[in-house]
Amino acid sequence: MAFKYIGKKATRPNVLERVTGKAIFVDDIRLPQMLYAKILYPKYAHAKILSIDTSEAEKMPGVVKVVTGKGIKHPYGDCLHDRVPMAVDKVRYIGEPVAAVIADTERHARAALSKIKVEYEPLPVYTDALDAMKKDAVLIHENLDKYFYVTPLYKPTPGTNIALSYEIKKGNIEEGIKQADVIVEKEFVFHHMSSVAIEPHTAIAMHHPNGMIEIWTANVGPFAVREQVAEFFGKNVSDVRVHVPHIGGCFGYKSDPSIEPLAAYIASFVPGRPVKLKLTRTEDFTSTFIGRGMRAHVKVGATKDGKLTALEETLYLSTGAYADTGTNVLIVSVQASGGVYYFPNAHVKGYSVYTNTPPVGALRAYGHPEAQFAIERMMDLLARELNMSPIEIRKKNFITEGKTNVVGEKFKASDGNLFKCLENVVEAIPPEEGHKEDDDYYYGVGYAGLIKAPKAATFASKGCHIKFNVDGTVSLNMSGGDVGQGLWTVARQIAAEALKMPPEKIRVYSEIDTQYSPWEWQTVGSMFTFQGGNAIIRAANKAIDILKKNASLVLGRDPDMLEYDGEYVYDRSYPDVRVAVKDICRGYVKPDGTTIGEVVNVTSYFRLPGVQNPDPETGMGRTGGSYTMGVQGVKLRINKHTGEIKVEHVATSIDVGKVIYPKGAEGQVLGGVVQGLGEALFEQIRFKENGALENPNLIKYKIPRLEDIPDKFTIKFVETPDAIGPYGARGLGEHPVIGVPPAVVNAIYNAIGYDFYEVPVTSDMIKKVLEEKGMLKEQPNETTKASLSETVDRDKEG
Amino acid sequence: MQAVNVTLNGEKKTVYIEGGETLLDVLRENLELTGTKYGCGQGACGACTVVVNGEAVKSCMVLFRRLEGAEILTIEGISDGVHLHPIQKAFVDADAVHCGFCTPGIIMELYALFTKNPDVSEEEIKKALNKHLCRCTGYLPLIEAAKLAQKYYKESLKEV
Repeated sequence: MAFKYIGKKATRPNVLERVTGKAIFVDDIRLPQMLYAKILYPKYAHAKILSIDTSEAEKMPGVVKVVTGKGIKHPYGDCLHDRVPMAVDKVRYIGEPVAAVIADTERHARAALSKIKVEYEPLPVYTDALDAMKKDAVLIHENLDKYFYVTPLYKPTPGTNIALSYEIKKGNIEEGIKQADVIVEKEFVFHHMSSVAIEPHTAIAMHHPNGMIEIWTANVGPFAVREQVAEFFGKNVSDVRVHVPHIGGCFGYKSDPSIEPLAAYIASFVPGRPVKLKLTRTEDFTSTFIGRGMRAHVKVGATKDGKLTALEETLYLSTGAYADTGTNVLIVSVQASGGVYYFPNAHVKGYSVYTNTPPVGALRAYGHPEAQFAIERMMDLLARELNMSPIEIRKKNFITEGKTNVVGEKFKASDGNLFKCLENVVEAIPPEEGHKEDDDYYYGVGYAGLIKAPKAATFASKGCHIKFNVDGTVSLNMSGGDVGQGLWTVARQIAAEALKMPPEKIRVYSEIDTQYSPWEWQTVGSMFTFQGGNAIIRAANKAIDILKKNASLVLGRDPDMLEYDGEYVYDRSYPDVRVAVKDICRGYVKPDGTTIGEVVNVTSYFRLPGVQNPDPETGMGRTGGSYTMGVQGVKLRINKHTGEIKVEHVATSIDVGKVIYPKGAEGQVLGGVVQGLGEALFEQIRFKENGALENPNLIKYKIPRLEDIPDKFTIKFVETPDAIGPYGARGLGEHPVIGVPPAVVNAIYNAIGYDFYEVPVTSDMIKKVLEEKGMLKEQPNETTKASLSETVDRDKEG
Repeated sequence: MQAVNVTLNGEKKTVYIEGGETLLDVLRENLELTGTKYGCGQGACGACTVVVNGEAVKSCMVLFRRLEGAEILTIEGISDGVHLHPIQKAFVDADAVHCGFCTPGIIMELYALFTKNPDVSEEEIKKALNKHLCRCTGYLPLIEAAKLAQKYYKESLKEV
């Protein structure tokens, strides 16, 4: 099929706003009579609140109101309703709001915070699931038996700190272990990390006299925000209106309601006035969502010839103080535990455990990097046991047509070609480039597969509203949040293809407003192209049908005898018998003014067909619905004198079905690979024993800079058309982050013969290993040429 | 209140401040020039970069009261929002703008770099970009855009 706009060069619809500084982000919004809120945080990560005295703070200049959580009656949430916007009688993490000052300026609000007096009774602090699971551990949520959960899947275990248990059973695990000639058993840790969008969380909320609550926020789940805020205030969902302007990056933590319920709670004390709550970078670390934080105990069995027979695994998620947003992180990890490999027998259990850290929520591809780090490391360990190459063992066990994953979903040929992906990656980074050294460096290569479904609630759906205008142009209105991934561009290209008109005639929406925008679940899980694309095609077809019906009235032909080309509807046998689209898109106005036909203003939706909740007994079921798979490879070098790791080359090959926006797809891979390198090599939120964060800022929490990127990227897309994806396309946004951490750690072994079982692996850790193994060489005498990092002014504390 | 006289985007201005405000505070809160962004408040991310007396500075690290007589240029000052500056055009053409939050700071960084020396080396360009955090692009598109920006900028000098 030849495409006119799909797969071709495209311009981002709202890019001019973004290069001129005119794009409006939440913090750029100024409303009349706006007030500002600042938040007081606790001294302890786990403590009872004995008393709060706000009287002195209330007398401070500019202060309008001081708010505490005293009046909060019930928690809210999505899956497990355990969340409160502000601490009520105890604090459960160091970033939990205890009180808020509302003032005329941010400065006045901040100044009054220190005047609030709070008495606490400290409780033991847990930052690791294993400690919080101990028999004598103090309960972080005493009333776990009273919390509402939406399905039995999300049932907590009262009397413990276990917020969620989930397990899957496939085949017969005992048999699988028996059949194995080789068994490898290891523990893995994927430490806590942060999404770190460059725009910190900000929200504005206002309670209107007519009962409406209006919110402005950078969140890709505005409809979820609306529902949870409505639930919290006991309002109709239709009484909450959420606006989403430009969003300065998401990467996960702006997809669940975060500070919006808090902003709305604070604003309820000053009805009629908008209140802005703008988090500092530190608050963005301590008081929104963090990600990852997974331990995995993994046992894998295989026959002598390298066929996998069994996967037995237990996952422990340190989910933080509130478990609602981490429930699906755990579930997805369990479901992704087999990675891209076929296991005839599997028994995988997972526990999401309350701890005294900020709550775990979404972080790019959540659940998948955690689970696949473990399984991709295991494949290398197993290959070594079997004296087989890491490439060979992967090829032998790839999930292929007719095989099932660990939840029992059968794969089709149209799901993608892993062999081709592997071939592309090995061609770019052959194994011969690794396991080498010269005077200054050890060189290593490593590989990893990756797989991810456009995971979502089973009912998750995306909508598309197409409005034809009187000049024949189109207004395209959807609710996908363009967080930089290029969603607006893809939407316009698909609309252009489906409506057979140049993209310039299609104006894409630039903000989401739950009052007008079509309902969508959340822009998460790499599913916009898949679901949104199909919604656009459906809406376009509906619009074209109406245009043909209208034309039929004008031209006197049956609608199915007519063709549409974007500009005209015409008789297919006599094309000169035609009527212009612009003349029939609001009905047709006859010469005498009477008007016939329908107005072309349509909405359509799309959801993944047949996706189901897992079976309550076995944990199995069609939980993914569609998958995107691929392979990544890494070549790195380790400095013999310093232990410093330099990634030279990262190759990524993903079977995306069909590339729609080439530059955007490439951009997603580049950004994802670099984020994955951060997770592999240095990103980690470190906790002190008292539950405080050691590094809640961008000086101490390092994310990749330009100097950290590889010398070379290879990106190769494979295009095996998907059975139901729009024009054969599948999701891509999160996937490039998944295979990088295991490929890096596999490459580190290949370079220095040492196995790490956690990420990040820092250069300091490598240096220590080299020292222990006697592999650290003395510094050469001549000073090496200063690298970029040594000459650039950065990271100075003070 | 303290009066500070500056030239802002080519216009002379007297700004009244309390005293402790940073340049970023004043641009965003007093003057409503919201194209300059807050990302970290510690000089680590570069999103707040503007040009002061020809140099790229992180506006979150500069106290406004020290800027008496200074010439300040922000993203709003390099084009009228319709006719793009060559650097802005390069970022559009190279498709280097993803979420766009770090973009104004990076454009101002390059503005200072190229106006001081249109012939700076690629190494110097990379050094300048290394002061900025971008979570979206993986940086490679920024390098390509910056090189294209240098080309467009030099061409624009010839046209004058």
